[in-house]
Amino acid sequence: MTRTHLMRRAAAQGVSALLVAVLLVGCAASPALRLAADDARPPRVLVTGVPFHPQSEYQCGPAALAMSLGASGTVVTADELVPAVFLPGRQGSVQPEMMAAPRRYGRVSYPVGGSLEALLTEVDAGRPVVVLQNLGLKWFPVWHYAVVIGYDLNLGDIYLHSGTTESMRMALGRFDRTWARSSRWAMLTLPPGELPATTDARTAITAIHDYEQNAGPADAAPAWVAATERWPEDELAWFARGNAHYARNELLAARDAFSEAVRLQPELGPGWINLGYLFRELGETDKARAALTNAAAIAGPWQAVALAELERLF
Amino acid sequence: MRTTCFRLTSFTLALTMMFSAFPMASAHAGMISTADVIAPMNAQHDRQRIFAVLERADVVAQLQHHGVSVADAHARVAALSDSEARAMADQLENMPAGASNVLGILFSVFIILLVTDLLGLTAVFPFTRRSR
Repeated sequence: MTRTHLMRRAAAQGVSALLVAVLLVGCAASPALRLAADDARPPRVLVTGVPFHPQSEYQCGPAALAMSLGASGTVVTADELVPAVFLPGRQGSVQPEMMAAPRRYGRVSYPVGGSLEALLTEVDAGRPVVVLQNLGLKWFPVWHYAVVIGYDLNLGDIYLHSGTTESMRMALGRFDRTWARSSRWAMLTLPPGELPATTDARTAITAIHDYEQNAGPADAAPAWVAATERWPEDELAWFARGNAHYARNELLAARDAFSEAVRLQPELGPGWINLGYLFRELGETDKARAALTNAAAIAGPWQAVALAELERLF
Repeated sequence: MRTTCFRLTSFTLALTMMFSAFPMASAHAGMISTADVIAPMNAQHDRQRIFAVLERADVVAQLQHHGVSVADAHARVAALSDSEARAMADQLENMPAGASNVLGILFSVFIILLVTDLLGLTAVFPFTRRSR
């Protein structure tokens, strides 16, 4: 890159930076975060054990992931993650790949953004949160991944491992404005047995399933166990748990999980079919036939499969 | 030429993947996987499966276009969920790419404030001011 080119770029960045500065200064007097009156969270939290990886040049994505993975017990450097998430042509990393890469390191990625309250709740639960900020403006974006590691409500500050700064302090209001420009995008990377504090069943099941597609059902088993413990009324979680137990050759546990799935949702054809297979493997032929007969009575895409299997096996 | 070659390879790979990874319902014998139940594209929607596989091949090609090696591109796409792969295939060029070089921005702010100081618009750095 020539010197004039560099200077031109610096000048262009400079103009935008001035606008940013003006805007941020202009907003500095706006009210800080207001939490609900009954908000019971501790006023000050700092998550310990989050390794700091300073970013090099444009590689805040790999650095943020390395910190998140490190906190979840996976030791990996930012440099090692560059071939997994960095896009040289875009000089950055995109969100789907940020979500995908942790699966290659045995971690489940969960989306947890949406609100400052949810973000602080995750931090309060001891989880560092990867956030996407736009440090610039909507029409002149400066996209940036950082890791939220703490907050202090009395001071009105949030703490981030960001760029080349360890434990950077930023006013909550300013942070939220930069974060809002990404529609408050945030993610966690967790070992398969742990769940976010704020997620709902659908989101968690999708996240675990996406992990399972990459890592296989046996590795996902602890995540499905956790999901059924958190949402014991969710038949899909029980069904998935049954398959995960089966992949680990835990036949009795698999049978129990499928039984629970069809108890919760008697119209779940695949639950009955898998329960039938399991009973058959366990030598309980009558129960196997009964389960497949139940499946064959349910109209839908799996009815034909159940009928064919009844024909084939009995 | 090279891109065409990549695309052809990706396409062939995609077809291989499709027939090895997605047993069709008619041939279903054995445990029904969680994916068969959860995934929006179930056994009845073979066309959607074909699109999904083609989308992945397309994402591999796009990653290579952006400077990712062939081997890395395949490993990266394998880790994407179907909806993530679809988003990448449709939106990659418009996605925000987290990238900021924070030092560069700070430096720019410094330069601009220095200039505005020298123009008399601001008064941040004492060394830019002479005695009145």
